[in-house]
Amino acid sequence: MPDFTSRIRPCYDGSLTLETERRSSDIDVEELACHLLSRDFLRRQRKVLQVLQGEHIFSKTQQMNLSRPERYRLGLARAKAIQRIVRRHGWDDDHYRMAEYLNDEMSPYHLHGTMFVTTIKEQGSEPQKAYWLPQIESWSIIGCYAQSELGHGSNVRGLETVAKWDPVKKEFEIHSPHLTASKWWNGSLGRTATHAVVVAQLLLPRAPSGKPTATRTGLPTATAEPKRVTAAEEEFESHGPQPFILRIRDERTHQPLPGIVIGDIGPKYGYASMDNGYMLFNHVRVPKEAMLSRYAEVSDEMGTLNRKGHPAVVYGSLTFVRGQIIMHARLVLARAVTVAVRYCCVRRQFRDRDSRSEDDEEMKVLDYPTVQIRVLPLLATSFALHYTGEYMYKLYHQSRQTIEKGDFGPLAELHSASSGLKSLCTMLAADGIETCRRAMGGHGFGGGSGLVGLNADYLSKPTVEGDNWMITQQVAAYLIKKMTEAVENREALPKDPTDELFQFYLKSRSHRVPQSIANEDGLIDDEAIVDAFRWRAADLSYRAYQARVVEQKPWTRLMIQLHSLSRAYSEQILVTNFYNSLDSTPSTLSEPTPLVLRTCFRLYALFTLDSFASAFTLTNAVSSDTIYSLPDVILELMADLRPHAVKLVDAWSIPDWLLDSALGRSDGKVYEDLFDRAHRRNPLNRVTFDPRWESEDIVLGSGDGGRQVLAKL
Amino acid sequence: MAPTPDWVKQLKPSGPQGHELLAAERAKSDLPVEQLSELLFTKEVLQKKQRILNVLKSEKVFDKSQNYFSGRTDRFEKALARAKKLRNLRVKHNWDLDEYRTATELISEPGPYGLHDSMFLITLREQGTPEQHEVFLKKAKNYEYIGCYAQTELGHGSNVRGLETTATWNSKDKTFTIHSPHLTASKWWIGSLGRTANHAVVMAQLIIAGKSYGPHPFVVQIRDLKTHEPLENAHVGDIGPKFGYNTMDNGFLLFNHYKAPHVSMLARFSKVDPDTNKYARQGSPSLIYGTLTWVRSTIVMQAGSVLARGVTIATRYSAIRRQFQDRDAPQGEKGENPVINYTMVQMRLLPLLAATFALHFTGKAMMDLYSENQKQMNQGNKGREDPNQRGAGPEETQSGSDILADLHATSCGLKALSSTIAAEGLEMCRRTCGGHGYSSFSGIGPWYADYLPTITWEGDNYMLTQQVARYLLKSARSVLANQAPNNDTTRILTDFRSRSEIGCAFDIIGSDSDIVSAFAWRASFLTFEALKHRDEQKKPWNDLLVDFYRLSKAHSQYMVVKNFHSALTAEETRGGIAGETLDVLRKLYRLYALHTLEQEGSEFYVSGACSRNQISLARTNAVMKLLKAIRPHAVRLVDAWAFDDWVLDSSLGRKDGKVYEDMFYRASELNPLNRITVDPYPDSEVLFKRIEGRGEGVRSKL
Ligand SMILES: Cc1cc2nc3c(=O)[nH]c(=O)nc-3n(C[C@H](O)[C@H](O)[C@H](O)COP(=O)(O)OP(=O)(O)OC[C@H]3O[C@@H](n4cnc5c(N)ncnc54)[C@H](O)[C@@H]3O)c2cc1C
Ligand SMILES: Cc1cc2nc3c(=O)[nH]c(=O)nc-3n(C[C@H](O)[C@H](O)[C@H](O)COP(=O)(O)OP(=O)(O)OC[C@H]3O[C@@H](n4cnc5c(N)ncnc54)[C@H](O)[C@@H]3O)c2cc1C
Repeated sequence: MPDFTSRIRPCYDGSLTLETERRSSDIDVEELACHLLSRDFLRRQRKVLQVLQGEHIFSKTQQMNLSRPERYRLGLARAKAIQRIVRRHGWDDDHYRMAEYLNDEMSPYHLHGTMFVTTIKEQGSEPQKAYWLPQIESWSIIGCYAQSELGHGSNVRGLETVAKWDPVKKEFEIHSPHLTASKWWNGSLGRTATHAVVVAQLLLPRAPSGKPTATRTGLPTATAEPKRVTAAEEEFESHGPQPFILRIRDERTHQPLPGIVIGDIGPKYGYASMDNGYMLFNHVRVPKEAMLSRYAEVSDEMGTLNRKGHPAVVYGSLTFVRGQIIMHARLVLARAVTVAVRYCCVRRQFRDRDSRSEDDEEMKVLDYPTVQIRVLPLLATSFALHYTGEYMYKLYHQSRQTIEKGDFGPLAELHSASSGLKSLCTMLAADGIETCRRAMGGHGFGGGSGLVGLNADYLSKPTVEGDNWMITQQVAAYLIKKMTEAVENREALPKDPTDELFQFYLKSRSHRVPQSIANEDGLIDDEAIVDAFRWRAADLSYRAYQARVVEQKPWTRLMIQLHSLSRAYSEQILVTNFYNSLDSTPSTLSEPTPLVLRTCFRLYALFTLDSFASAFTLTNAVSSDTIYSLPDVILELMADLRPHAVKLVDAWSIPDWLLDSALGRSDGKVYEDLFDRAHRRNPLNRVTFDPRWESEDIVLGSGDGGRQVLAKL
Repeated sequence: MAPTPDWVKQLKPSGPQGHELLAAERAKSDLPVEQLSELLFTKEVLQKKQRILNVLKSEKVFDKSQNYFSGRTDRFEKALARAKKLRNLRVKHNWDLDEYRTATELISEPGPYGLHDSMFLITLREQGTPEQHEVFLKKAKNYEYIGCYAQTELGHGSNVRGLETTATWNSKDKTFTIHSPHLTASKWWIGSLGRTANHAVVMAQLIIAGKSYGPHPFVVQIRDLKTHEPLENAHVGDIGPKFGYNTMDNGFLLFNHYKAPHVSMLARFSKVDPDTNKYARQGSPSLIYGTLTWVRSTIVMQAGSVLARGVTIATRYSAIRRQFQDRDAPQGEKGENPVINYTMVQMRLLPLLAATFALHFTGKAMMDLYSENQKQMNQGNKGREDPNQRGAGPEETQSGSDILADLHATSCGLKALSSTIAAEGLEMCRRTCGGHGYSSFSGIGPWYADYLPTITWEGDNYMLTQQVARYLLKSARSVLANQAPNNDTTRILTDFRSRSEIGCAFDIIGSDSDIVSAFAWRASFLTFEALKHRDEQKKPWNDLLVDFYRLSKAHSQYMVVKNFHSALTAEETRGGIAGETLDVLRKLYRLYALHTLEQEGSEFYVSGACSRNQISLARTNAVMKLLKAIRPHAVRLVDAWAFDDWVLDSSLGRKDGKVYEDMFYRASELNPLNRITVDPYPDSEVLFKRIEGRGEGVRSKL
């Protein structure tokens, strides 16, 4: 290729632009970074980054050009490389997780180190743990977690795979009676795993009438509806889904064992490097020890099920996992916002319409309010997520000991709320990435945006770990229960913040005056904002209680209302935690950071209020004047935040290497990088095609009449 | 991978089978599907589609089974093979432009001839002189010249006046020098340019004797017609992988003092006189704005069917997907609930189903209005070409002076609204499918990814709203100046103003036409509010952008509601369908309108178009009732969109309901990854142990 292009420069200097931006704000970036992420995290990030950057296998330049099998291959190669590096450097778990975070793709080993090992640890009996954990830790086996099936994901009780107890041979027979019983979506299963935790319906012989087949010791779990069984299995009864650990592939040949069919489920929206799999069983026999039996065990003599204890730990760790999801969501959103803020500063388009001079430079697009309104509230949201995630961690660690004893302590409430938070936060992050991408116009659509892969991979989150719509019902059910209690016993001592809120609400309901979020002097009243969010949540809870408990409306008909309730309640949590943090942070941060964080709080809260304005007025939470004045207040808040935008995203400390984005580079060399990717790193440009329709050759001069292409179809 | 064992082949999905479930759905309603399809498309069009579809299906090169698996280069290669085949078929079957377009639509992937077939040919035709038609257009029609339309640059897209590429007139040798002074001057995003085109229409700043005359189009040869290598001093290539659109070679292009002859500047509307070296404008380029309006109207109309694909897939799948028993189900009731019975699912899908029809009828009404006007213009004022008059851009026209100006401005807002609804709706459909929606086999994800650029090109959706606002402000000023209304916009504004003292009382729950009035009221209210900010309070333009965005959205929503409503009252519609069908369509109309109203509740409330109580009723009562009433017709309604399975290419959306069988088939039989056996252990350097069909011993290592 002729190359006069190496000398040519962009019209505006991006580096200079970002430098100017950084000079316009006094925020101490390092200080804020430590506040958000901790010094340890930052140190670790630097250290791991340096190692990964040095290994060619982690280079992402060709990733987006690859076919699905090639992506998986690369994913496996990287997963292996990380394992070696971990050993070479003697890294601990935190470092390992940092490596996964920076590598930024779903590793084919992912489930081995997460759900697989966690399930064994939490649900395995002591002997089972002693047997399996060393093999897991030494990687002589590789595991996955197979719960979802082709026909069922959300409804775990509806799983179709069965584990039938053979009382004679004292073993289980694992079987897939239907096509829809096929395990499906299970990460690491498709090509990688040698073992799987398989969740299957436990079938035990029906006891001669009168005698129960299950006994309970300890606390009861939610009652399992007996699964209807087919005629041939009439004499068996289902005891609900139970976890089994199974060997599924031969360690040497890596072929599936006899009677088991396994494969990868094919290409997806994202997760290209992960081999989500399917698996079917044909009357496969496994020993009794396969069933993980910390909480339930089949008794040898009787063939009955003994349940022991209450799996509170499981719920405890679920809350922890949800906390992690939120902390992850905050970084994902921060990453998208980093790219958008930096690019929208470097991107210039049009001179100001009201400008009178031909010499004025073009506007940075971040100075247009229609760009700000998409990007800046999301910047504020990343902080809102941070403070709630942090709050959940704190509570979890504080109540860890009581959890081990089966008592949630202060965590109980948060545990119930965590479904709503999972739903809200993953949705905010997923939609936020896309909003940022779109705010960047054409280049946002290009591979150089760095948001294409992030978007595709992250979009799994609204569905996995509880479908975002479905699980909001759990929160609503909890709130209806709490409201019922509050109504029935108005004088009871409040056990948690929700009780307090509901009692306050019930007392003030009759004489509520819709509030204004500004005080007499026109200044924003932060407490009034918090009050508005809390009032809306309480009022919607009361309406839901009224509809369900008093009027006995069908559940299904109420679902939409319940979904809004869950969202309102979760937003209330985000707003409250953010607000509380404002009081505790000033001591540790120098000016103007606390002030800027307060602006973020207001922007997040008022932007949300404006988006749901009619819910706030219908519930009498705020006055209609407030609604009318909001657009202007929001514009002002964005104007206040604008000069700090670049430094605020800098504080999230997302390394360029992880961003992998021409648009989001910290040095502002947007156009140079875009051109470099297109011109120097694009394999398509190495092929000269024959564009004439009369010629059947696709590649010029190949003379194959297009046969090569046909062979690929 | 071992062949699928018999015991697997014999497995069936549990419970009622997909085809039974869909049959039961179809039995719930007696909506005449064919009749409704004919109302949407006409019988002739449906037959034409079928005929062309049969041709396409019989060609191996259009086989889709590996589409979702391939890498970028392979995908492009295949797309080129398909484009060529399609051109061959066109010649062989003597297809006209309409039939050719239908074929492209059925193939449903962008192809490397895309920009040649559209913008390149159109620009040559519309902006070239007869002489230039002779030189360029003839060869272009024969595909000797394969072209593209190179306007956008690395540094500028929305702001066309800011383009950096220059074309400097050399009075000595009567040529232009085309040059890229900066890296940001590089043409970028140009479809069909990267690997395919040998010519380009290049927009460049015309410079004569040191003076700039703004962007003008030039036809430039960029590749050798034989070797297909770039010409000297033209540097061209593909820009790399993207979110979607990966079958298209969007390209970049830089010039290094590249010489082009005088004839290359398209000179129908402005030219450089080679003798005097003077610049002259001639004729009125209003035709070009006409084309733009046509393009945007097409986007509006297509938005309906683009979205309908997602809705078809998600609706059929949610009728088959069963998850949980109803919480209030009587004890002993068997079986799980199809998720479409959950209002949470209905609330996401059914308003979108309603939107597909709303957008379709709106697009159609615009196209009709456009053609009607085109006809009148061609008959009436042929001689009106005034060389000094800059044409009918939205800013330049006399506001309220003619219907085309109105149509142009409203088409901007509607393009923005409709493509946003379609894009977001598709993603909503995908998520509504739960886990399986994330699989490529859902067919929604890839389709969404290819559609997404529509919200950015032909005017970024946020940017466009400024044009609408500008037009509405002008119209409002004319109303304040007591000029008589002469189009729909000025009519509603006048009406609003005349009643601003009295207020309004619309029965949005009871009357269909009152809903339209309420939408008109809110749009008018926002228009006068914006006008107050700009003219009385003298606020800076930029401070008002968010207001403008909301205003444009409100106005466009009014347009959609109005057009949907008039389609239902039109003789043409009523004549074509049974009364019951019309009744269902009316319910869809109300669902679309009231759902939108409820979403934008606070604006309706603040403007006084509705009371708080009405909004609350719309939400809790009307919308819920409509969901329930439409629910039984859902599957038949999507059937009426008449998508062939081949076109949908989706396991979840199959017409016969064999969702699970198809998912399993694609995963186990079509999936190349399953031909590979890996070595999973971290301490082994081997990655792929064995690849089926490549013999033993093929190993891949770290
Ligand atoms: C990338 C990815 C990775 C995964 N990895 C694993 C893994 O490693 N192991 C594993 O076991 N599984 C895995 N899964 C499966 C995942 O857990 C399920 O997809 C998830 O639980 C959602 O369930 P579903 O697909 O059955 O959705 P469905 O329940 O079928 O949802 C379909 C629709 O119905 C609605 N709906 C369902 N029930 C109700 C109700 N009661 N009320 C109202 N609405 C309802 C939902 O909101 C949704 O819109 C993975 C999935 C993905 C996408
Ligand atoms: C797949 C694809 C194919 C394409 N094909 C072609 C082609 O064949 N030929 C061609 O010439 N072009 C093509 N384009 C380019 C396309 O037309 C431009 O991307 C589009 O015009 C948007 O311009 P931009 O990218 O410069 O966005 P920008 O103008 O940079 O927009 C960035 C952001 O700034 C905002 N913004 C910009 N100006 C203002 C303002 N004045 N006020 C408020 N906000 C503002 C926008 O809303 C947006 O959020 C293609 C693009 C894509 C994605």
